[in-house]
Amino acid sequence: MPVRLSRRHVLALGAAGAGGAAAVRFAAFPGGRSGALPAKAVAAGGAPAANPLAEPRTLAAHLLRRAGFSYSTADLDSAAAMPYGDLVDRVVSTPPEPMTMPAQLGQYQAVVVAWYAHMATTAAQFPERMTLFWHGLLTSDYRKAAGLPLVAQQNALYRQKGVTDFRALLSAVTIDPLMMRYLDLDVSTAKAPNENYSRELMELFTLGVGHFTENDVREGARALSGLRLAFVDPSGAVTALPKRPKVKNPMEQQQYYQRISMMVEQGYRFAGRLNPRLHDNGTKTYLGRTGNLGPDDVVDIILAQEACAPFVATKALEYFATPNPSKELVASVASAFRSSGYDIKAMMRAIFTSADFKAAANYRSLVRSPVDYMVSTMRVLARPELARQCAQAGQYMDQVLYDMPTVGGWPVNAGWVSSGSLLSRINFAGMVARSSAALPDPATAVADQLDGIVGADTAAVFNASRTTADKWFAVLASPEFQLK
Amino acid sequence: MSTFTRRDFLASGVLAAGTAAVPAVFAKAAFAARADGVANDHVLVALQLGGGNDGLNTVIPYADPAYASVRPTIGIPAEQVLHLDGRVGLHPVMTGIKAMFDKGHVAIVQGVGYPNPIYSHFESLAVWECADPSLSQTDGWLGKLLASQLASSAHPLTGCALGEASAPAELRATGATVSVINTAATYQIQGAGPEVAAPALYRNTTGIYGALFDQALTTAEAGIKAVQSSAASYKPAVPYDTVSTVFGSKNNLAAALQLTAQLITTVPEVRVCHVVLGGFDTHFQESSRQRQLLAYVDTAVSAFMADLAAHGQADRVVLFTWSEFGRRIVENASQGTDHGAAAPMFVIGAPVKGGLMGEYPSLTQTDSGNLVYSTDFRSVYQSLITDWLAADASAVLGATFPQTRVIA
Repeated sequence: MPVRLSRRHVLALGAAGAGGAAAVRFAAFPGGRSGALPAKAVAAGGAPAANPLAEPRTLAAHLLRRAGFSYSTADLDSAAAMPYGDLVDRVVSTPPEPMTMPAQLGQYQAVVVAWYAHMATTAAQFPERMTLFWHGLLTSDYRKAAGLPLVAQQNALYRQKGVTDFRALLSAVTIDPLMMRYLDLDVSTAKAPNENYSRELMELFTLGVGHFTENDVREGARALSGLRLAFVDPSGAVTALPKRPKVKNPMEQQQYYQRISMMVEQGYRFAGRLNPRLHDNGTKTYLGRTGNLGPDDVVDIILAQEACAPFVATKALEYFATPNPSKELVASVASAFRSSGYDIKAMMRAIFTSADFKAAANYRSLVRSPVDYMVSTMRVLARPELARQCAQAGQYMDQVLYDMPTVGGWPVNAGWVSSGSLLSRINFAGMVARSSAALPDPATAVADQLDGIVGADTAAVFNASRTTADKWFAVLASPEFQLK
Repeated sequence: MSTFTRRDFLASGVLAAGTAAVPAVFAKAAFAARADGVANDHVLVALQLGGGNDGLNTVIPYADPAYASVRPTIGIPAEQVLHLDGRVGLHPVMTGIKAMFDKGHVAIVQGVGYPNPIYSHFESLAVWECADPSLSQTDGWLGKLLASQLASSAHPLTGCALGEASAPAELRATGATVSVINTAATYQIQGAGPEVAAPALYRNTTGIYGALFDQALTTAEAGIKAVQSSAASYKPAVPYDTVSTVFGSKNNLAAALQLTAQLITTVPEVRVCHVVLGGFDTHFQESSRQRQLLAYVDTAVSAFMADLAAHGQADRVVLFTWSEFGRRIVENASQGTDHGAAAPMFVIGAPVKGGLMGEYPSLTQTDSGNLVYSTDFRSVYQSLITDWLAADASAVLGATFPQTRVIA
């Protein structure tokens, strides 16, 4: 079926958009005349360099793509109708929507599938995006959860605290059961402190290399020693964890995990608690402060470091705004973050309203991560039931939720582009396009998801496609849809 | 030593299939073939042990009385160690590598490291990946080799990362072409429509990622047929245990090495391969995890070498292992070890000059509790580049290092 698409106007964007240079802009008229795009080439030279983000609708779409995933035409219409500052306020003040957890809370794969479906369906897009951002920065993998519902619990924590303040988040993460297991805090004792969390907390989560010494790693480990996993009842009182069956009977094991799962649904949970008998009560000197320091002091001392706000701001800028944030931009966002008492919304508002965020150079300056790409695909086609396929396809694109390659998290931008991972995206696009029974109008997707701005290759393939499925393939597999 | 030339391989029918399958468009595209200045047809395989392998429990100084005192719970009893000489031996699970060592096919360089060791995974990874302890280089050393001396732009499979989805930093460099192949089965475009449409989407992509995207897809497009015909013309000569239960599916080293053997035996242009096994960051209960991981390395590498030998490729291939650091000498209270410094490197293959090299670091004369290196890792790289690949090491390493000769 020929898609009714006519190119209304051709813009020469010059060097304007990072991803939009020499692009073709065309507008869609779903109910209009049928016909191919004119063969007339993009006007060469002459036209002034234009910033696609100068157009309010494109800027609104740019924000929605980065602060969330993709969006419906109605979402975009509503966003584009608001003054940009108001739109940013509305986005960052969106409260999180609790996720429907799977019945088997201890099966991390089920939690991952549920998370994909939630990202694809929730209207609270920004908190979900923040949950994913913190998951990639304050990393934990699933392995040491060992069947207990610790992945589900951490996932809920990042959603709940991810849009509050960084102090609350960091304090909660330090005693989060999955994190405590992942970075070995739950086995660290005064007698021989385990340095794993102490090091990564400073190096990867808050300060960066060069802002601490090896001695700080060791002293921090002492201050953090003695934290242990507890099982607490709905009132917060420590209670005994049901005994794991000794016999390796799969049936009994399954019943055991089901029982824990049910108790957690009833309000029981795992919690990090300081065991004074295992904690080092001696004097430590950590990042220049001396005293009988404990876990809370570690968080406070880190947040008092000059390096903390710039470090987190840089991570957020690289994720949300620009691959190479300038020193001035980092300083300005860090200052908003620090002066607000580490309010995450204040940091994000500073990022989204910065001149850099709206600059031509940052139009399509970020590569969608595989999760971003797949969730955006589900949303644009309203097919959340693809969540299971997303979870499987992720491994061929190098992003499996709760299974990052290292404690440093996932690659960004150019790191996502390899021959193999690009093939996997293309095959995902093909699978989705072929398997969708009722596809919406692809021309609307070009107009709304790609801002009507596509390169000559995408325009040519789109036009040469005869079926709706083929046109959708062209959209989803296009370089433009890999970017944001 | 091999005296095969590339022509010998091209003459073989099986191998020619892989060559013929490379479409002409590849040479015509952005990748004009360069004069091949390479003097031989040797293959180098990098096996990365991710997370920092504990060298002290891999090549064990069993005769040193200090060993038992620094490793009271996770130490390996002397009688279980696979003795290499009167002082050191291998972890008990490394029976395959021990057998190869006895045949003179394994060089073990002891006490490898670099000046002013860094204990951060990521910084130390960058040191090894870019062969630069000053951290000023951003291109990977194998990537530089591919770009400058192995003419990787002339054939998509000259440089390969196998069993992975992202290009490893070691292989990434300006001008280096790298095929990243997770599995042969998934390395294709599914569906007749997409087969035509997908490449057409990535011809002249604009923007800051445009060239990167286009190169990734052109490389894939050019490599797909070679990989698929390679799969059709290869059968493993020995069984690989590809059902890995060691810390999850991303650690499927055996499958990655089987794919490596497949490509080496069927595509003569393959020159540099990268595979990785993660999970060596053993802060907690090291014994059981490291035992699993080393057993997995041992069986996978043994199968790989036997397979290559059965295919008549043993004289063309050398594999080396590296890890971002070794671990602290004294074990921690979690029956594990924290980040440390010097550790041994293994260089494996029939062309290797077998034996123990370098000095085992002292367990008592330490650098704040860490082993002091005696061989700079770049001295091993130096030998791999010059003695094995007959390439110019100074162009890759930025200097010439006193080489630790690991090739016979």
